[in-house]
Amino acid sequence: MNSQRVLPTGDREVSDSEVVARVLAGDAEAFGLIIRRYEGGLLRYATRMLGYPDAAADAVAEGLVRAYRHLASCRDPARLKSWLYRIVGNRCRSHLSRRSASDLSLEDAPPLPDPSDTEAEAERAEQMALVERALHTLSPEKREAFLLKHVEGLSYEEMAEATGERIPTLKMRVHRARAALLELLEEYP
Amino acid sequence: MTHIDPQVHRVLDGELPADALTAAQREQLAALQRAAQVLSDLPRASVASRVMAEVRRPAPGVGRRLTHWLTERHTISISVRPVWSLALAAVLAAVAVIPGHEPAPVLGDQEGIAQFVGRFPGAKSVEVVGSFTDWQSGAIVLRDDNHDGIWRGTVVLPVGQHEYMFVVDGERWVADPLAGRYVDDGFGRENALLFVRPVAR
Repeated sequence: MNSQRVLPTGDREVSDSEVVARVLAGDAEAFGLIIRRYEGGLLRYATRMLGYPDAAADAVAEGLVRAYRHLASCRDPARLKSWLYRIVGNRCRSHLSRRSASDLSLEDAPPLPDPSDTEAEAERAEQMALVERALHTLSPEKREAFLLKHVEGLSYEEMAEATGERIPTLKMRVHRARAALLELLEEYP
Repeated sequence: MTHIDPQVHRVLDGELPADALTAAQREQLAALQRAAQVLSDLPRASVASRVMAEVRRPAPGVGRRLTHWLTERHTISISVRPVWSLALAAVLAAVAVIPGHEPAPVLGDQEGIAQFVGRFPGAKSVEVVGSFTDWQSGAIVLRDDNHDGIWRGTVVLPVGQHEYMFVVDGERWVADPLAGRYVDDGFGRENALLFVRPVAR
């Protein structure tokens, strides 16, 4: 499935392929459109993968700069989204391989709930903490598969492009991630 | 591990409608959908200004030097593997004694010379792109004057470590098989590594 994005700009929409062509033709500012289009999802993905917003921001910033510098090597700009997830995914793997949990400083830790939060917000923060804790008990491969499928909404074809893995392998990881996650969530209803 | 009925997986994979599930299966479906929903909040942070600052940073001014040196005659050597280094040294020694060969150009203290050699029989064009060209094509075009499939080019580069790739026929990116050292390119592939040293004086 090809889910190429388009973005309204003035009186028409610009496809990823058109934006890439503009950047490659020398319009560096057009890369800002790519950032606006994908930054949110990439930051969310990296944050869930790494568990720490600062590390995630580094991974996404490094990934986007690399994407800009290597944009000419994006062979199919219509599949820019999965190409970007691949680059940022590689940055995340690199961070994970370099950094163990014991290396993390308190400054990196997720913010504690603010006592002034409303009850609903506090409940949501508690849910988030529970799900994130469960997510981080999964192996990085299963976590990546679950996030790409169910949070980032990639198709299995796009996931294969983003990870370099075969579709049956990815399906197996997603299925196992669902089962493991459900079991952990059932322990803490 | 909790057993999830295959029907639930099929619904989550978009192959079946949710109403095909039993009540118990729907509970499993709902729990997983809730988890995904909780994780779907977008972060408030942004890296846009940081990335655009890098994007707007002027490219290093090596392009003019590269163009200049591509039009000059020169003798050069950058080793890749020991066996190739020896062969290259022998060739360069022979070149050095040819009468009338122009002397090597004067280089800055922080400049060295790199020679790229690649075997691409049948290729119509081969160029080198790398960290020194900001990964832009068109600056370093290799030549196959003998039509033997061996493409060569020589350039002046800043001293230090550089990443590079060959681009064959304008579309096929190939890591130099003779580079000996490589680094992850962030796309699941590897760039070749080049170490440029100052010319001995």
